[in-house]
Amino acid sequence: MTEETHTAPVEPAAVEEPLDLVRLSLDERIYVKLRGDRELRGKLHAYDGHLNMVLSEVEETITVVEINEETYEEVIRTQKKTSEMLFVRGDGVILVSPPVRTG
Amino acid sequence: MAMSATNQLLPLELIDKCIGSKIWVIMKSEREFTGTLLGFDDYVNMVLEDVTEYENTPEGRKTTKLDKILLNGNNITMLIPGGEGPEN
Amino acid sequence: MQSQERSPTEFLNNVIGRPVLVKLNSGVDYRGILSCLDGYMNIALEQTEEWVNGQLKNKYGDAFIRGNNGIKSIL
Repeated sequence: MTEETHTAPVEPAAVEEPLDLVRLSLDERIYVKLRGDRELRGKLHAYDGHLNMVLSEVEETITVVEINEETYEEVIRTQKKTSEMLFVRGDGVILVSPPVRTG
Repeated sequence: MAMSATNQLLPLELIDKCIGSKIWVIMKSEREFTGTLLGFDDYVNMVLEDVTEYENTPEGRKTTKLDKILLNGNNITMLIPGGEGPEN
Repeated sequence: MQSQERSPTEFLNNVIGRPVLVKLNSGVDYRGILSCLDGYMNIALEQTEEWVNGQLKNKYGDAFIRGNNGIKSIL
């Protein structure tokens, strides 16, 4: 049984379950897509199984589609916010994309 | 009590009887599927083959043919054995 | 009891490493190679493409898709 603890971390780059992808992105800048047309780019400090996350140096992009009341034209507007440190509740997460891995 | 219990057909037993035959699935949203039921699990996630997907939009019904799919059971409202679909 | 590739779990084990289409409730589709998934139906894809009403919107090398948003995946 104690042998297991030695053999387990041999392959650090292996992605055996989806959350490994997130684990490998710790301390890296990631892209997060959230419900309500919100996107985040920031450095991942911590996460849990719910996909609750702590990000730093975050740029948030909010996309709003407005319809001009006179012309009925769709106007797509993006709004940016920056935060030094951010907690993201996991239930809003749609997608997490790590930085491009090499090798 | 015990008698009525044995005579009752449980919902999952009904679905089990549909394995190998056509079935019609209606989702919570404006979406429906027909196809051959290959299998399902306790959550009623389903594997379907030779599938037609119907998406009902204000502009009309859009159909998509799909080879084989896994359908998440979360969003299913109704299952209809036989599977003639919404077009008949 | 059920033969190969019949139950959802078996289906998923059979599609690992193959190209899949994942459709979300929102209508967004993701195409990519299925690397792995877990019991919550969290999905990891490689060479991911994001499609919104027939248009390619984004590409990601790897992508983690949170399980509660998914509808279905296709061979």
